[in-house]
Amino acid sequence: MISSKNLSSIVSIALFLFLFAAIISCSEKKESGHQRLPYLGRHDIVKNEKDGKISVDTVYHSIADFRFVNQDSAWITNETFEGKIYVADFFFTSCPDICPKMNTQMLRVYDSLREMKDLAFLSHTIDPVTDSVRVLKDFADRLGVSSSRWHFVTGEKEVLYKLGQVSYMASMADEGPGGLVHSGRFFLIDKERRIRGAYDGTDALEVNDLIRDIQRLAAEYEK
Amino acid sequence: MRNNIPGLFLIALFSVACTSSPEEVKFQRYRVAGERLYATHCVACHMADGSGFKKLYPPLTGHDFLTEQFEKTLCTIRFGSNDSLTINNVQYTLPMPDLKLTNLETAEIATFIYNSWGLEKGLIGVNEVAEITKGCE
Repeated sequence: MISSKNLSSIVSIALFLFLFAAIISCSEKKESGHQRLPYLGRHDIVKNEKDGKISVDTVYHSIADFRFVNQDSAWITNETFEGKIYVADFFFTSCPDICPKMNTQMLRVYDSLREMKDLAFLSHTIDPVTDSVRVLKDFADRLGVSSSRWHFVTGEKEVLYKLGQVSYMASMADEGPGGLVHSGRFFLIDKERRIRGAYDGTDALEVNDLIRDIQRLAAEYEK
Repeated sequence: MRNNIPGLFLIALFSVACTSSPEEVKFQRYRVAGERLYATHCVACHMADGSGFKKLYPPLTGHDFLTEQFEKTLCTIRFGSNDSLTINNVQYTLPMPDLKLTNLETAEIATFIYNSWGLEKGLIGVNEVAEITKGCE
C-alpha cells in the first residue's frame, strides 16, 4: 500500500526525470543544427544495381526544362538559373486582386536580399496575349527592378500553363474573358531545380518565412 | 450621488447623441462604410495610406487629380478604366479593373477618400453618384 506522501514523491521524481529528458533531447536537436528544407512534390524511389549491389536512390520532383522570353527579349531557360536559388510565381500585369499584393511582397523579398549573389526571381505571365515583351518590360521598369535578377517571362500559353500545373503544381485556369484564375504562391527552387518551399505570396507572414528559408537554403550549400 | 451613476451616464449619452445632427450621422455612416470597402477593394494597389505603389498604381494623395477630376474619379471607381493618366509627371497605363461596385458603394468609397489624407469634401451621396455615373464613357 503506497501512502499518499510516497505517491507525491514518486510523481515529483517522475516529473523531474521527464523534464530532464525533455531538456536533454531539446539541446541535442539544437546541437545538430537546423533541419534541411523539405523537398516538395512526388518522389520516385529508384533502384540501382551496380557490381551486384543494389542501392536505392530518391529522385525528387524537379522543374522541367523550359524556354521563355523575358522582358529584354532574351531567351530564359533552366541554364539561366544554373547555380542559383530562385523564387518563381505566376501572375499577369492587369490582374486586379491578388497580384498587387504578390508584387509588393515579391519586391520586399527582392529588396531585402539584394546582397545575395546567387539569387534570382522568375515571374511567369499566364496572360501572354496581353503581356507581351513590351508590356512586361514596362511593368518591370515601373516596379524598378533589374532584369538580370528578376525575369518576367512570356511564351506560349499551353506551355506556360503546363509548366505551372505539372512542374510547380500551381493551380491556374482560364475561365474566359477577364476570368484568369491562379494561385498566389511563391515557389522556392534550389540549385538542382527542386522545389524546397511554397508560400502564399499574399500573406506577409508566409513571405517572412520565405525570406528566412532562402537564407537557410543558401546556408545548406555552404556546408 | 453614487447611486445615480447609471442616471448620469444616460444623461451624458443622450447629450452626446443628440448633438450629432442627422447630416453628421449620415456622413459618418457613409465614411465608415467607405473605409471598409476601401480596405477590401482598393488597399491592394493604392495602399492603406493612399500612397500607391511604385509607378504601377497611382497615389490618391499629393496631387489634385481627385479634386480637379471629380466625375472621372467617380466613373473610375464605378466602372474601372482603361485610360492612361498622368499624375505628378508619371504616366500610369495599367487598367483599373471594373470592381462591380454599386452606386451606393461608389458613394461610400468616394466619401471616404474625399475626406481622408487632408481632403474635406463632406458627404458624397448615392443620388449624386447615380446622376454623375449615368454620363460615364
